[in-house]
Amino acid sequence: MSLNAETRDECSVWRRFATMAACAAGFVLFGAPGDPAKNPPAKPSTFEADIVPILKNRTCLGCHGPGLKMKELNLSTYQTALQGSESGPVIVPGKPDESRLLRMVKEGLMPPGGKIHLSDEELGTIRGWIEGGAKSASEPHAEAVISKVTQDDVIPLMLLRCTVCHGLRRQEAGLDLRSKDSMLKGGKSGPAMVLGKPEESLLVKRVRSGEMPPKKRLIQVGVKPMAPVEIDKIARWIELGAPIEAEPPDLAATAADPLVSQKDRQFWSFQTPKAAEPAAVKHADRVRNPIDAFLLSKLEQKGLSFSPEADKLTLMRRAYLDLTGLPPQPSEIQSYLADKSADAYEKLIDRLLASPHYGERWGRYWLDAAGYADSEGGKLDADHPRPYAWRYRDYVIQSFNDDKPYDRFLVEQIAGDELVDYEHAPVVTKQMMDNLVATAFLRMGPDSTSEREVNFSDDRLDVVADEIDVFSSTVLGLTMKCAHCHSHKYDPLPQRDYYRLAAVFKGAYDEHDWLQPLYIKETTVIRTKTQGRLLPYVTPGKTPYELAEEERNREDFNGEIDRQLVSLKSSWEEKTAPLKKKVLGERFSKLPKSLQDDLRAVAETPAEGRTEVQKYLAEKFAATLKVSSSDLKGADPAFAKDEEKFESQTKLLAAKKIPDPKIQALWDRGEPSPTYILRRGSPSSFGPLVEPGIPSALVAGLQPYQIKEPWPGAQKTGRRLALANWLVQPNHPLTSRVMVNRIWARHFGEGIVKSLGNFGHTGAAPSNQELLDWLSVEFVKQKWSMKAMHRLMMTSAAYRQGSAVTPALEKIDPDNVLVSRMPLRRMDAEVLNDTMLQVAGRLDTRMFGPPDPVLVRDDGLVTPIESETGWRRSVYVNQRRSNLPTILDNFDFPQLSPACLARTQSNVAPQALHLLNNATVYELADDFARRLEKEAGSDARRQIEQAYWIALSRAAGSEETRVASEDLLKLKQAAVKAKSADADHKALTAFCHTLLNSAAFLYID
Amino acid sequence: MSRPDHYGLAQRLTRRHFFERFSDGICGTALATLLSRDVYGASIDSSDGLPEGHRRMYDLKPRAPHFPPKAKAVIHLFMNGGPSQMDLFDPKPVLDKHNGEAYFDKVAADLTGPEQAGGLLRSPFKFAQHGKSGMWISDLMPRLAEQADRLCVVRSMFTVHPNHEPALFVIHSGRTLPGRPSLGSWTIFGLGSENQNLPAYVVLDDPLGLPINGTQNWQAGFLPPVYQGTRIRSVGSPILNLRPEYEQPSEFVEVSHDLLSRLDNIHKRNHPGQMELDARISSYELAARLQLSASDALDVMKEDDATRALYGVGEEPTDSYGRRCLMARRLVERGVRFVQLYINSQIWDTHTNLEDGMRAASARTDKPVAALLQDLDRRGLLKDTLVVWGGEFGRMPIAQLGGNPRESGRDHNPRGFSLWMAGGGVKPGMTYGATDDLGYEAVENKVSVTDWHATILHLLGLDYERLVFDQNGLKEKLTSVFEARVVKEILA
Repeated sequence: MSLNAETRDECSVWRRFATMAACAAGFVLFGAPGDPAKNPPAKPSTFEADIVPILKNRTCLGCHGPGLKMKELNLSTYQTALQGSESGPVIVPGKPDESRLLRMVKEGLMPPGGKIHLSDEELGTIRGWIEGGAKSASEPHAEAVISKVTQDDVIPLMLLRCTVCHGLRRQEAGLDLRSKDSMLKGGKSGPAMVLGKPEESLLVKRVRSGEMPPKKRLIQVGVKPMAPVEIDKIARWIELGAPIEAEPPDLAATAADPLVSQKDRQFWSFQTPKAAEPAAVKHADRVRNPIDAFLLSKLEQKGLSFSPEADKLTLMRRAYLDLTGLPPQPSEIQSYLADKSADAYEKLIDRLLASPHYGERWGRYWLDAAGYADSEGGKLDADHPRPYAWRYRDYVIQSFNDDKPYDRFLVEQIAGDELVDYEHAPVVTKQMMDNLVATAFLRMGPDSTSEREVNFSDDRLDVVADEIDVFSSTVLGLTMKCAHCHSHKYDPLPQRDYYRLAAVFKGAYDEHDWLQPLYIKETTVIRTKTQGRLLPYVTPGKTPYELAEEERNREDFNGEIDRQLVSLKSSWEEKTAPLKKKVLGERFSKLPKSLQDDLRAVAETPAEGRTEVQKYLAEKFAATLKVSSSDLKGADPAFAKDEEKFESQTKLLAAKKIPDPKIQALWDRGEPSPTYILRRGSPSSFGPLVEPGIPSALVAGLQPYQIKEPWPGAQKTGRRLALANWLVQPNHPLTSRVMVNRIWARHFGEGIVKSLGNFGHTGAAPSNQELLDWLSVEFVKQKWSMKAMHRLMMTSAAYRQGSAVTPALEKIDPDNVLVSRMPLRRMDAEVLNDTMLQVAGRLDTRMFGPPDPVLVRDDGLVTPIESETGWRRSVYVNQRRSNLPTILDNFDFPQLSPACLARTQSNVAPQALHLLNNATVYELADDFARRLEKEAGSDARRQIEQAYWIALSRAAGSEETRVASEDLLKLKQAAVKAKSADADHKALTAFCHTLLNSAAFLYID
Repeated sequence: MSRPDHYGLAQRLTRRHFFERFSDGICGTALATLLSRDVYGASIDSSDGLPEGHRRMYDLKPRAPHFPPKAKAVIHLFMNGGPSQMDLFDPKPVLDKHNGEAYFDKVAADLTGPEQAGGLLRSPFKFAQHGKSGMWISDLMPRLAEQADRLCVVRSMFTVHPNHEPALFVIHSGRTLPGRPSLGSWTIFGLGSENQNLPAYVVLDDPLGLPINGTQNWQAGFLPPVYQGTRIRSVGSPILNLRPEYEQPSEFVEVSHDLLSRLDNIHKRNHPGQMELDARISSYELAARLQLSASDALDVMKEDDATRALYGVGEEPTDSYGRRCLMARRLVERGVRFVQLYINSQIWDTHTNLEDGMRAASARTDKPVAALLQDLDRRGLLKDTLVVWGGEFGRMPIAQLGGNPRESGRDHNPRGFSLWMAGGGVKPGMTYGATDDLGYEAVENKVSVTDWHATILHLLGLDYERLVFDQNGLKEKLTSVFEARVVKEILA
């Protein structure tokens, strides 16, 4: 048989043959290229003779050679070329149109840049070669090369489909399938494989017959059955004698990855920041600190200077809301106004930084960035509660209040479990517990794996992906998300980088050795199904005896609460019994007379005391006998309120229980499975093996990522500790920049780099890099003190500017990129809620502890439940993803899936409707009015003045006073006319309600 | 009532509105700067030269589509639970022949309850051909069958997950995970709305309870919250906080309103050039209009008796769903862009009692849905309103729990299911694609959920590749990273 690539017909005939041959797995059918005498010119093209010259000539090997392996593609040898890239095979023998290689060069996508195009002749050669079976001079058959299988093709399959029962934690039937040796050793039924004889190997037999993995248990253990191609692969490996090939070492684990070029590393944000001298400026009188000089020099280039300084009280309200999220009390305003010293403002900032409310405000920002929630979220509707997440919330608030250095803060959160040997410590310290609580930072993303239907490999990898996403955008300021499936298109982040990070987390998050999160039934009764990913919380300093006593006390106390809950419920049932009876009575009256009495008797007999006949009737008439809460609401409109009250009481009472001493933690388990690149991110498509490491673009002057044993004999990999230590090097190009930029953005409305979580090519360029770099260096110099950064920024002249927009500013600096003024800002959701509570005198300032419950009304309105002491700040309200308090939701509280670095700000009608119509807002207005009556007496004018001091932290303007007085009078007249009881108070309430709705209240100058 | 020409009007409207709002303040140059900023949405391509491609402001003003649309509004009749294709639109005579035979091994990996698997299960319902098109529809839906020539049934849908929650996320927002914008959110992000007195994206959920995944089905995800669906209840107060939830003398309303507007105007005067304050004032104006117009739009009593009867309003078991279908028509008539209807619990989730369950679910919806098509058509609205009907996945050809259709049912099946579309730009009377002989897996002209999303956007005049939102450096799309195809074959 001849092969002539130039004649189409023959060629397609050959192709059919080749396909058939491949199907039959025959490898020697086309050994001889035909009779040379018959067909002298038809020499089959080969990789070495025909393709390599093109690849060399067209510089393909520069990127896709042994050095760079860009996109994991190495075209330099026949074998590696056939292995393909991170997207899969690029050459499909016999099928040029399905071969990615040909498509890329034909469409001019490769070589990149569009300057070099392959000639038609070259394209023809490549096509012909692929059509001819993509042969090599040395290797007779592409199929043979493609079907070459090594342990790296088989082991990941074992991990994915088998080792959950035959591996690290369990060896059912004595079998461990994690390595060639253990497979040869086999289990109770003998060796799992017979080398060279796949069809005699138990492994292949059991899998092929469909016996393994056992079908009825698939869903229990989170495994999918093996695909036929996967079985073939295992069979082929055994047939070949189970070859083990040493992977070339993963370069970037130790040195710079060749995939990332020197030029890539030159990108501005990958360079260590250097503090430049601030330039000299014309308006030197406006310079209070170097921040001002950096900003002014740019403003002056455009012929601008800073806006005039805001007045004292505007600045005070701004600083209060900014640092604590609460406005000043009138008494604080008065004492501040009385302070005439030159540094009154600086002292104010210091006072605010020392306030415990500071941690509640700024901790919340970090909780956004970590994706804090009190529920698991994810793919399940149930949205199971996370009963111990609050410890992490408290840790964050406390850390901010303590001004914990940012480097330490990061290390604890990323690797707290690898810092100290907490398991064998003679004495448990507070620091140890804090370390473990801090690791919840990496446990905040949605996690659906608590239920078996969504606990497969891909579901687990989703959890890991979210954590990598949070880590990389929040801490590193890079978006790694793209590299999950392919190398980043714009940033020098090859796909391997992503999986190196995945390997770092694998000591704790191993999709082949998974711990489910805690499964919780319902809010009031906490029931543990599994141990879950939880560690015990040991009260620091307590002896075992004291701990036992603590537990007894807790049980006693909680037992008492349980008893109270039961009695609350039974008294509620007693209360609703008559109504229930009435509803049933009406229903029964529509039934035949003979039935009525019988059913009534069934309804009045408790289930356990029913006769056989009654049991039958109860089942038969289940629908008739069932009285739902909506039936009761239909029968009595007052029922809804009563039921809400009962629910609130129940939830408040249940919330009093002392929580179990548990920590939602992440800890290294010491024995991670190997990490393979997943082609296209697919959990069953394996690429090369990688080692733990960090993004290879980030090497500038840094100590490399280096794993050390955390302590002698530690059962920990130390991988995350190495990551944390690498991250907090003082000259790290991103760690300090990303954080100071975020602090800046919260004070000034926008970041110096606007894209707070993206310092890469697709992110925004810094609007003032000198300023950013100076701040970053200063941050490290000030021992990573966040409070020092606040002080620096807030005492600058830039921060003290007014917010007025003049036509000139609108024209020259419309986006305020130059910080030519302070932006007008709307209150954040929590600031609005907390401020209304404080204004009304209903704010309960108790800190910390389990979250406060919410009430979910039938129509979906979610409201925090008030306790005897009022409402606590929003940060302490239950953050269940599916039931966020409506007021927070309406005012742009983010959906944390997984996290949020910059909140969006919408301006929509439901916000107005909420403030105008919501019962709670009105109730707070009512309290606000009472407070005014108490503090200002009954004089309308004094009431208005005091209202402005309380709500807006300033005196009412003369026009405002006039307008308010007029309308307050009208309101009073209307109330009298309507014969409203308590007319003056009703009118004042309406005025207060309006003030809470006003733009002046909602916006911060 | 006929709707305005959205496509042409979009640009004209925006400009005029813009000038109206700003004619009272800012001088010429500033105005030019503002105009160039896409404040009141003239085009969809959003980058504006901003680094993350975000628009400067997010609103619901009408925006021009990428190309002239076939459909201007969408009514999505979401069928919770996964309706059984082989009992509704995809007859499988082979199942009759092999009823009861074992098939477990082939489908084991897809089952959510492998312990309960039975043999192949034939459909207990009778199929017949309907209309000029000869479309096959079972006797479960006699009214819809009369509308057969308006339908385009796709028999070859498939999805990626056999569980309700992830599958619902897929059908609503393209991936198995929460946190992504829904189809409706993308639509109004792209097109805004013609009616500024009503929400652009309305969700009519069942007063008896939320569907699986609750409000996450109509979330805006990473899009600004202004694009999330607004839940309107068909009984009681239609929108959260729509009416004051407290008592005060009625005379207060006007005075309070006057006081608020006077105080806000003083504040605005003291803050020239702050656009945010204008937007806020207009949001209060919209709130006021909403209080008036929402009730009107949703009041089915404004319809005549015959129309209400057509939808089955006032009779059981169709009253509740009939009301929502009728409300949906009233809403799209008023320029609402996207309306999504739900039924309580998962009426199509027939794991048990296949026969009774399917009959009950069909009885609740058949008449209202057929009426909606008829009514839209006679008002000239069907030609540019896209009605889509379907669930999150299909069902298995095998029985769950024994083999008697009175007791047993069918488990979930992501590999093949049917849905239909009608009106705005799809071929009427068409049956597209096919599943295998058993109805287990889509095999011919397969349509992924991603393809389906791309097709709907296409009908709305939106290019799924160009409707993007920059999220942390990723150009996010409804179709995410998946390959998508507009199913051209079903376009009219």
